Amino acid sequence: MAKTILAVDDSGSLRQMVVFSLRAAGYQVTEAVDGQDGLDKAKAQVFDLVLTDQNMPRMDGFTLIRSLRALSTYQKVPILVLTTESSDEMKAKGRAAGANGWLVKPFDPQRLTEVVKKVLG
Amino acid sequence: MIIPHPLAPKLQDVLSSLSEHGRQHLTEVEADLLQTNQLLKEAIAKLGESFMAIHAATLEQQSIVDRLLAEKADGQIAVQSVREVSEKVGLCINAAVTGLQFQDMTDQLIARTMQRVVGFRDVLEILCVGGDDLGSQQNDDSMLAVLDRMKVVLEQESISLDQTLRKAVRQTHMESGDIELF
Repeated sequence: MAKTILAVDDSGSLRQMVVFSLRAAGYQVTEAVDGQDGLDKAKAQVFDLVLTDQNMPRMDGFTLIRSLRALSTYQKVPILVLTTESSDEMKAKGRAAGANGWLVKPFDPQRLTEVVKKVLG
Repeated sequence: MIIPHPLAPKLQDVLSSLSEHGRQHLTEVEADLLQTNQLLKEAIAKLGESFMAIHAATLEQQSIVDRLLAEKADGQIAVQSVREVSEKVGLCINAAVTGLQFQDMTDQLIARTMQRVVGFRDVLEILCVGGDDLGSQQNDDSMLAVLDRMKVVLEQESISLDQTLRKAVRQTHMESGDIELF
């Protein structure tokens, strides 16, 4: 059965590229338009991996990650941040919030697929 | 000896402050627009290259298929050639996907520029109200007090605007970014 991924980003074009890349690699990808939408969808279904942007309206990535980590079902689920941010300060905040990895945009589809494969084992 | 009016230095101070803050904000606007332009140029160039490469690869694939159909090609070699061309197409598509992400970044830069322009316009509006207040003052001391308030508001609002506009996009090229697993 295909692994499921929740892709959270307020940019429609970016979500389109993530979905295109990961579906081509055989993953089932669900989109969320911001942190709140992501949290609602994550509560409705347990995903194998969450890929989230940081700067989003309604709820940002770090708040989403902390909210997910507070759920028993998301204690061990890998969460990766896919963002334009590249500073060490932001990476440290992401790690402290509970993220497992940091990917700086723009992403290469092959590299994205490789890191997802690695993280999902 | 010319003795300046008591208000002159204060007015000079407020105008100088306005000029300086205005200059800083517009310098940031210019930098963001240049960065946006650079990203757009690179994205378009990458996408153009990808498109041409995909077009060339599909022509190559078509020629292999034509040869196969005409039974002029060795099957095994043709299959291998098609696989190689397919891989080329895959790489071109990956490059195009990376290039297409320009919209997300330039969108953020443009939003930041817009917020700064609107925010600075609001600051000028506050100064305009202060100016109206100035017009109703009846003595130098009260005018000086209004000018003092105007300067403080200008600085507070300008600094506050700067602080809310964190620069989240520092990319100046459309190359794929770093990946780090914790």
